[in-house]
Amino acid sequence: MPTQPPLPPLLAPYVSSLPPSSLIVLSTVLGAQGNWLTLRYLYAALNALSTSDAALSFGEGHNGKKQKVVLVSFLRGWEFWRAEAKRLGLDLARLTDKRQFAFVDGLSELFAGPRTTPTPTTPTTTNTTTTQTTPPSLAPSPRGGPVPQRTVLPNRSAPGPIPARGPQPARGPAVAAPAPLAPVAPSAPPAAPASREVGPVKRLHLSGKGPAALDRLEKDIAAVVGHLNGRATASAEEEDDSEVLLVLDQPDLLLAATGPGKEIGATEMTEWVMGLQQYVHATVMTLAADLPLIHNASAAGHQMPTPLETEHAAFAIGSAHRAHLVMQLRDLDTGAARDVSGVLRVSKGGAWGQSDNTDANGNWEEKEALYFVQRDGGVSVFRRGE
Amino acid sequence: MAPTNTSHRQTHNLLLISKLLSLRDTASPLALVLDSLEQPATPLIKEYIRRAKLSKVHITFVAFETLRPLEGVDAFVAARKKSPLEIIKAVNAAYPNVSTSGPSRRRLILIDAINPLLHARRTDAHFNVSSFLSSFLMPQGPPTVSKVEASLVVTFHQDVPSPPLPSPYTPSPLSMLTYLATTIIRLHSFSHILAQKAARDRSLVPPVFGLEEELDGVLLGRLDKPIGNESAQGVVLELEHRRKSGRGVLEWYILPPASRYPPQYAKEIVTLLDDHPLYRPPEEPDFGAGEEEPESTFELRLTDRQRRDREGVVLPYFDAQQGDGPGEGGRILYDMGEEDDFDEEEDEI
Repeated sequence: MPTQPPLPPLLAPYVSSLPPSSLIVLSTVLGAQGNWLTLRYLYAALNALSTSDAALSFGEGHNGKKQKVVLVSFLRGWEFWRAEAKRLGLDLARLTDKRQFAFVDGLSELFAGPRTTPTPTTPTTTNTTTTQTTPPSLAPSPRGGPVPQRTVLPNRSAPGPIPARGPQPARGPAVAAPAPLAPVAPSAPPAAPASREVGPVKRLHLSGKGPAALDRLEKDIAAVVGHLNGRATASAEEEDDSEVLLVLDQPDLLLAATGPGKEIGATEMTEWVMGLQQYVHATVMTLAADLPLIHNASAAGHQMPTPLETEHAAFAIGSAHRAHLVMQLRDLDTGAARDVSGVLRVSKGGAWGQSDNTDANGNWEEKEALYFVQRDGGVSVFRRGE
Repeated sequence: MAPTNTSHRQTHNLLLISKLLSLRDTASPLALVLDSLEQPATPLIKEYIRRAKLSKVHITFVAFETLRPLEGVDAFVAARKKSPLEIIKAVNAAYPNVSTSGPSRRRLILIDAINPLLHARRTDAHFNVSSFLSSFLMPQGPPTVSKVEASLVVTFHQDVPSPPLPSPYTPSPLSMLTYLATTIIRLHSFSHILAQKAARDRSLVPPVFGLEEELDGVLLGRLDKPIGNESAQGVVLELEHRRKSGRGVLEWYILPPASRYPPQYAKEIVTLLDDHPLYRPPEEPDFGAGEEEPESTFELRLTDRQRRDREGVVLPYFDAQQGDGPGEGGRILYDMGEEDDFDEEEDEI
């Protein structure tokens, strides 16, 4: 199998030169995970200047602007993203040093109490409601993409209204996680040297209830964005041109883990995302769009939908209404195949055409293509029959 | 019957939609736009803004999910993280209180999506959609000198599931809104309507798109050119208008894409769906003009003379009915033509 270009040509117009204040929703299902596509967005933004061939052919929207990326990941840890980006030729640690990239870990200590040091001490210091430690029924393991080597596992409270469906007993670290906390956690982010305070890994803490808790998260992320921007102004080189791309990786975890019990619903999540959008140039958000999460709430009559199903469907569909572009990943309709990983459908979202600026979104057209993720992480995107 | 009906619809219903979209005579104080992911309301909202600009109507945009103001909007009210009361206050404050202008000023209030408000946890149990919406139309407080005629256009995403109802006896927000609205516009994508019509014409099950397909991982089914047809663009409006008399009007219209006409175009651009050449292709001009006869190598038609001769034939039972007595009937009377040759054996008379 020949090595693929990091940015498949069919995909390039959609991942580079995003229009200002746009939202791009990337919907994934269990069998077709979107990690590779998220990485392509990182690559297109961070590598736009060095690889001029892709920028020349597609990236007229860049205008030589420096792009920076803030990645907020709620399901996968720093180590996973660093390793995956390395396979694409992106050195995230180096880019973090250069203040072009910042990683926000939304999972590790989301429900742990607020701490100043990144290493948690003992579970006794957790001050809030996180007294009981349950084995985390983690969200779907990325079957389509490569499995993360090591994952930072959270010490989090029992998720209230979520039915524990689909626990993943196969994951090795999940067994070791719940009992001893202190030994596991410090060794978890080995790539994060303790010397950096803001560092590569900023961790989110959720405390309190309702919109106030989300406001605090928003402030934390805004601080990271401001840090990237502020540093650029200090170094005084083309600082005004830098655009920050915000990548939110599966914020639906936040919705699922909090839910109505914490007074966080679809509207609050949407407003939280809207708030984050105000700080950045463009936003890419990945969401789960599995059948039960979307359709159980709308299939009227059969069964009372759970709050999670209602809220998730409202959040996902509402986000698609707000999006300029919706990239939908799904399994191949005809079943699994050896040389096709899934189907990518690019559709225009509900906010398409709101701005009259036609040249900003001129080269986007709706499309459906197949993709294949190879073992080495390379991805080929091709039309049917090619 | 049919042609008069069509012309009636063409005149009356086109006048109606033009009145509704241009907000003339406050024909409809509350218009409810039901959209879906397959056909978002953006083109229609932009059309509302365009027409309001043409007739100098003040536009207030209440944004629950839009970040940036749309072009042409006079006042932009971000409703994010606001309680219903704050929104009402902000909207009422957005209108410039000028008493000097003419006898009645008009204003248009657009709400980009009412769903987040209905979903929000901050709206308590006392929140009431009807009082919320009517407070826009009839603002409380000191009566202004000039009466302001406000029209409200509310967009509701049909495919976003509603939150569970607090009590089993309360109506759902959608039924509440449809009850309140004086005009309901349901949006469809023209290409989907065409595909469904093509299926129905063949007595097939009409296809569904997007979320209704209930496929794993499919949120949107819309593709730009599913059949490679450039001209199948546009928004189909399914209009239900309630007149003051209580009579309802149902009609289907099509709104062409905004690139087809200049922004200052003052004429009516909406047409009836039935008048669209793609939805109902124009009939062939010679179709039904003459009697169609099957084509064959035989000459099946009669010449005039043959027809005259055929009519002249007196069939035997006519002769039998003459009543010349028994025994007289039953004979075959035949006048020899010139082309007949007399056969001695058979034709004995």
